[in-house]
Amino acid sequence: MAEIVAALATSHAPLITGRPEVSMPERRDRLYGGFHELHRRLTAARPDLIVLFVNDHIQNFPYSNMPAFCIGLAEAYDAPSPGGARLMRIPARRVRGAPEWGMALLESGLAAGFDFAYSYEIESWDELSVPLHFLTPEGQVPVAPVYTNCAAPPLPTPRRCHEVGAFVGTFIRSRPTRERVALLATGGISHWVGTPETGRINPEFDRRVLDHVARADIEPLVRLTHAEIERDGGNGGQEIRNWVALLGAVPGWKGEVLAYEPVAEWITGCATVWVHP
Amino acid sequence: MSGTSYALNKILTTVARQHVMKDALSDDDLAGHDLNDEERAALKAGDITRLYHLGANPYLIRRVFRSRFPI
Repeated sequence: MAEIVAALATSHAPLITGRPEVSMPERRDRLYGGFHELHRRLTAARPDLIVLFVNDHIQNFPYSNMPAFCIGLAEAYDAPSPGGARLMRIPARRVRGAPEWGMALLESGLAAGFDFAYSYEIESWDELSVPLHFLTPEGQVPVAPVYTNCAAPPLPTPRRCHEVGAFVGTFIRSRPTRERVALLATGGISHWVGTPETGRINPEFDRRVLDHVARADIEPLVRLTHAEIERDGGNGGQEIRNWVALLGAVPGWKGEVLAYEPVAEWITGCATVWVHP
Repeated sequence: MSGTSYALNKILTTVARQHVMKDALSDDDLAGHDLNDEERAALKAGDITRLYHLGANPYLIRRVFRSRFPI
């Protein structure tokens, strides 16, 4: 049977790689160190596939057609595209997708009452590019992204995200294959982007989220309302839905926070977390 | 945010997909879009705070008017 061999959660922000020189060097080094340790552990876990819980930033899904949950069925993803590479200052590359795997998840979901949307072409941004730059620099592991609407309210509830993640976990474990699957959630923690409070970070909220993740204490997270997250974590904090989905896939697993840095210059409370059985 | 303005988000999505950052939108940018006076004024002024309160999505505001943000 297929197996979940690793689970990781990290922040994503274009400035993490795009403006490394503006952060305090010790903050940058601690966060990069967290990414490097995740890379080491992920490599040791030898995954055949990385399932990503991520979100669009209205690059792909427009207000004329906004999916709550969308499975990527692309053959490959720009991570980043040449344009994104210039801004994020990382090499442009194509990361292989896993469309057959995604289709199996899609069909299984529809049969079970999880009405995923799907897309054969997704222009990825920092949600894939920045974490994968650190975690699979060789780019050899195919990826299957599950996109959740974290950016264009109204959003799916954290509880529903948890249920979707739980379904994905069950789907993986029921596969009659010997796949070794890694899970990666990206986004958050607190940040205010494009709002009048742009640049604000709330370390107190971030530490609260990380504390719940460390104790596998999921209920307070799934109970959070959109308004509570917006107030305490900003519009970027809504991306913790991706983390909640991942935790749904690995019930009882506990997060080990390798690094947390509220980096004002990157306008993001940045974390790297390894999630243990 | 008091609500979502589809008209604002539609035009900002169109401009964002041109991958060009703007300080303000021009009459040419606005041509063909169904916007009210307040929305037109905020777009032409590049007033990022006003746009937010009029219901533009903050990610789109940031992408189009990146140069307006101090950080």
